[in-house]
Amino acid sequence: MAVLRLSARSVLSIVVLGALAACSRPAGRGAIVRVDDWGRTVALAAPARRIVSLIPATTELVFALGIGERLVGRTRWCEYPAAARTVPDVGDGISPNVEAVAARHPDLVILYASSADRAAADRFAALGIPTVALALDRTADVRRAALLVGALAGVTHAADSLVAAFDSLRAVVIAEGDRRHGPRPKVYVDVWAQPPMTVGRGSYLDEIVRAAGGDNLFDDVRASSATVSLESIVRRDPDVILVLQSDTTRVPDLASRPGWGAVRAVREGRILVVDGALYGQPSPRMPLAARDLAARLAHIGPVR
Amino acid sequence: MKPLGGARFTFALALLFVFAVVVGVFVGPASLTPREVFAALTGGGGPGAAIVWALRIPRVVLGLLVGGVLAVSGASLQVLVRNPLADPYLLGLSGGAGLGAVLAMTAGVGTPWLVPAAAFVGAVATMGAVYALASAAGGALDGRVLLLAGVVVGAFAGALVSGILAVSASQGARSALVWLMGGLGGVGWPGVLALAAYALPGLVVLAAEARTLNLLAMGEEPARHLGADVTRSRRRVYLAASLLTAAAVAAAGIIGFVGLVVPHAIRMLRGHDHRVLLPAAFVAGGALLVLADAGARTAFAPLELPVGVVTVVVGVPVFAFLLRRWTARSSS
Repeated sequence: MAVLRLSARSVLSIVVLGALAACSRPAGRGAIVRVDDWGRTVALAAPARRIVSLIPATTELVFALGIGERLVGRTRWCEYPAAARTVPDVGDGISPNVEAVAARHPDLVILYASSADRAAADRFAALGIPTVALALDRTADVRRAALLVGALAGVTHAADSLVAAFDSLRAVVIAEGDRRHGPRPKVYVDVWAQPPMTVGRGSYLDEIVRAAGGDNLFDDVRASSATVSLESIVRRDPDVILVLQSDTTRVPDLASRPGWGAVRAVREGRILVVDGALYGQPSPRMPLAARDLAARLAHIGPVR
Repeated sequence: MKPLGGARFTFALALLFVFAVVVGVFVGPASLTPREVFAALTGGGGPGAAIVWALRIPRVVLGLLVGGVLAVSGASLQVLVRNPLADPYLLGLSGGAGLGAVLAMTAGVGTPWLVPAAAFVGAVATMGAVYALASAAGGALDGRVLLLAGVVVGAFAGALVSGILAVSASQGARSALVWLMGGLGGVGWPGVLALAAYALPGLVVLAAEARTLNLLAMGEEPARHLGADVTRSRRRVYLAASLLTAAAVAAAGIIGFVGLVVPHAIRMLRGHDHRVLLPAAFVAGGALLVLADAGARTAFAPLELPVGVVTVVVGVPVFAFLLRRWTARSSS
């Protein structure tokens, strides 16, 4: 593919540029052709240089690929890395404001692969703006997204090394977790207080908890997030409660929530407050989050 | 369908109440055995003690209160606006409560106590606005004007909520709506006591107005001729019913259907005398909500359904059955 791109690029620049201006889409023989998570073919005449990221996780990913300066737009929810905040804000990521995005003159828009974004994708297509849809929810999606975005931006080497580093560190962390002795701590992930919402099997946070050597308390729930009854939290008796916050210095007062005093981990103060920016979105730093959690779980020590 | 006699009706109601309380205490996702629940109830401790005393019993008491308050409030408002579709939220209170909750969340003060308090303040403010608007059109709080004022103020509050959600940078604002969808899990004993303290005066006022409600149900003019102080009674009923609803929203969010349908069901079973209807609606509304909540906790355990889903899914077939029998009797 790389060879094809190199040879095609010079031809394209001479022959196709005129046709491109008239045509609403990159010419059929695009230099970079990939299939996105909607199964659509994304064809770019040249590597993307002006990227609008409509997913906070891909904003992080673009910076991780070392091409943060190519971002010309991001959502209002993009907070990591700090440099992302200097990128112009184009509003919401799902059901985006097409006009605000188009005003940034992007040559690639990264969309979350949600059915709510289909209409926006059609309008971008009508404007001649290429889009790539990514279903970026879990650890495996981070690898795929890194390779796809890397290819579309013409930085396949950076993407390959990012994925290689990601895989090896993740393997190390998981191996560390498996070597740990004693029972695996049961972790309740506190997504929302009332009604109590948590994460289910296969969600990104479930993967982090597992990689850190713990068990997600509700890993029998198939939805990625779900409302559960407080009664079942009490009955399942978590060893640790994990709370994601942007301010990790403040421990939330879970005991003041009505009824939560019945949860033993709350009574005994076994609450872990972790950095929402590190844990909260599918990220190449997933192994770091898992290692961070493993260290904290070890610090709390065996419960029984 | 023949209205039930007094004794049979009372017996059926008592049976429903006891059944609901037993189900509410013994059934739940923690699947305690009856023996474990008994041990907990009799102070024997055991694994179920925390679940039964800290979670199930406050939930059952809260359900009885919220369901009861909504049914009584709905029954009174149906007479006040002379509209069988009236429910406790029709007069704008859900919009006002939502606005209060969303504002509190957006301001970043979304603690478990402040959100309900803000929802209460929002509902009471809505009530004040509706009252002022309806009073401006004449002192007697005409039913049609009240209805329009309530719908307009509610729409205004709802539009503000949508606007805030669209531009707010806080994820919490959306979560305020999740909270508003309703549920009995978020309140412990302090919340139950607070609701009881608010509900008692409102219930007493409505009970005292039960005879006037009977007259009002016949129409404005007949009521006046029969000696009712229509203006004063209408105001009292409106304010009492709205305060009850605001307190119920603060405790449990917005739970549909109970306040709409329980009063109608009681009317079909027992007739239109509000001196019987109001207390019966209180008991039946509470029992229905406790049963629905037990279902919400248990049906897809450990997941929890919004209780409003269960009240509707279970309530509609029961109501359809009553409606068929009632219309069959009316046409024969």
